[in-house]
Amino acid sequence: MARLRLPALLVLVALVTMTPFVVMVLVAFAPAGGRTLPGAFDLTRATWENFSAVLSGADITRWAVNSLVYSLVSVVLILLFSSMAGYAFAKKRFPGRELLFWSFLATLMVPFQATLIPYFVLVSRLGGVDTYWGLIVPTLANSQAVFLMRQFIRQLPDELFEAAKIDGASEWRIYTTVVIPLITPVLATLGVFVFLWHWNDFLWPLVIGQSSHMRTLTVGLATLEGENVAVNQIMAGATITVLPCLLVFGLLQRYLTDSIATTGLKS
Amino acid sequence: MTASTTGELAAPTPEPVAVPDPPRPAGRPPRPVRRREARVGLLFVAPMLLLFLVFRFGPTLGAAFLSLTDYRLSGDWRFIGVENYARLLEDDLFWASLGVTALYTLVFVPLTVCLSLGTALLLHRAVWLRGFFRGVFFLPYVTSIVLAAVIWKWIYDVEDGLLNAALGVLSLGPFDFLGDERLVLPAIAVTSAWKGFGYSMLILLAGLQSIPREVTEAAVIDGATGWQRLRWVTLPLLRPVLFFVLVIEAIGAFQVFDAMYVMTAGGPVRASYSLVYLLYDTGFKFFDFGYASALGLVLFLVVLVFSLIQRRLIGRDD
Repeated sequence: MARLRLPALLVLVALVTMTPFVVMVLVAFAPAGGRTLPGAFDLTRATWENFSAVLSGADITRWAVNSLVYSLVSVVLILLFSSMAGYAFAKKRFPGRELLFWSFLATLMVPFQATLIPYFVLVSRLGGVDTYWGLIVPTLANSQAVFLMRQFIRQLPDELFEAAKIDGASEWRIYTTVVIPLITPVLATLGVFVFLWHWNDFLWPLVIGQSSHMRTLTVGLATLEGENVAVNQIMAGATITVLPCLLVFGLLQRYLTDSIATTGLKS
Repeated sequence: MTASTTGELAAPTPEPVAVPDPPRPAGRPPRPVRRREARVGLLFVAPMLLLFLVFRFGPTLGAAFLSLTDYRLSGDWRFIGVENYARLLEDDLFWASLGVTALYTLVFVPLTVCLSLGTALLLHRAVWLRGFFRGVFFLPYVTSIVLAAVIWKWIYDVEDGLLNAALGVLSLGPFDFLGDERLVLPAIAVTSAWKGFGYSMLILLAGLQSIPREVTEAAVIDGATGWQRLRWVTLPLLRPVLFFVLVIEAIGAFQVFDAMYVMTAGGPVRASYSLVYLLYDTGFKFFDFGYASALGLVLFLVVLVFSLIQRRLIGRDD
């Protein structure tokens, strides 16, 4: 009895979890204006017209580009700066090292929304409203990334770096040819998370991208929702927005879930 | 001199490397070497340090300072001391939004913890397709809350929403989930729980897997039923992880904004107008930046209290 109940429950929960996605795709492909009740879906009438309508009607391609720029540039810079800092915190002794590291970590206690106003004041004073740099640069100070890098690099044996030093390699060379290759797995994991955090981010892009052409996909989707756009088109937009996440997830599922279980990564 | 092991924080390290930390050679290296090392270290930290100074430490102090002014982005401003905080105490909207946020937290946290604990327990016992199901449950987590809000807004729709259609089959409803003051917070909590439970599920699953097999097997030999094993063996052993999950979900819940912004715009009649929503409106609709900063400080204090309770009850994780 119990043997039978368990899988049945699992399948049930899985179905409920997947339903919203299935519904989203079905509505996105349903003919515009048609009844959207579940029983009324007719796969033979599936159409791309909602996608072409939403793509031609709104700035959605521009928003997708913005999301890509925001996510990819942030990934590259956060990986670079946090691995450099992580290397120094893990393997170099310098005055104030512990104090700096813990003060970086302490910022995790401050919720982003609590500092949203001074953030915005600062960036607007520096002329960063409605610009890419205003969107990206303030998000680069990521304590979790530094923490993760330091923890990982600490475990690498010192002999590796000493051997490179004896061979006469410069510090930058040691960083690029010894550190980076050794930490590639963590870099990849962190990179995926940073990508997802930025791709899905909402509040900061909402306040900083004030004109339509500086919106990201999530912000754009929310504004579509506010305007009088047909539900079929909104679901088409939603499908476009979620596609990169699904792709990343499909490719790296194991990786992602394992690293949450072991490190507790959360934005 | 041993490698520094003082003050380790929360998370265990990822993918441990087989080689253990070698002991450092006794004694310090000669001075010039140490000075060179310090310079290199500072240079490598410099870019991140600069970012933190300008965009983390600066705004944090700035928030405290701004909250003591009547700054409005344009025109004159002056230092008004604790006036903003005095205003908070008398502001009905503030207390209402705090109430909404607390109520939402009270609905969301048990819901999401039950959901993630339930699925974690199911997955822990599952023998087949565990990875597949884990992926399915985790999938919503990688999407955006805005996306979840957009989809669920339609699911909750009174006229042609999926949920009312399903309830209609049972001849119930229709319910105006997002338009009814009593239903709106649970409805939004369900959406957020759907989006986020996969994260806590993974943490709990890892916790379950770290419980030694012998313990549960001993309970079986002693004749404990499944429920008794759960109640007297598994849950007590899982308590630190459970508590960790509880607190981070509560911290997240107190910052709720995106789902409400997209699904209800704070309505109906401010029934879903959260603290962060008030902060957002105060800042970006009324440009009352000083007052908005004071609201931010309240949020910070609440989160701080949650974190301190966590620290108190489970101490430093290791």
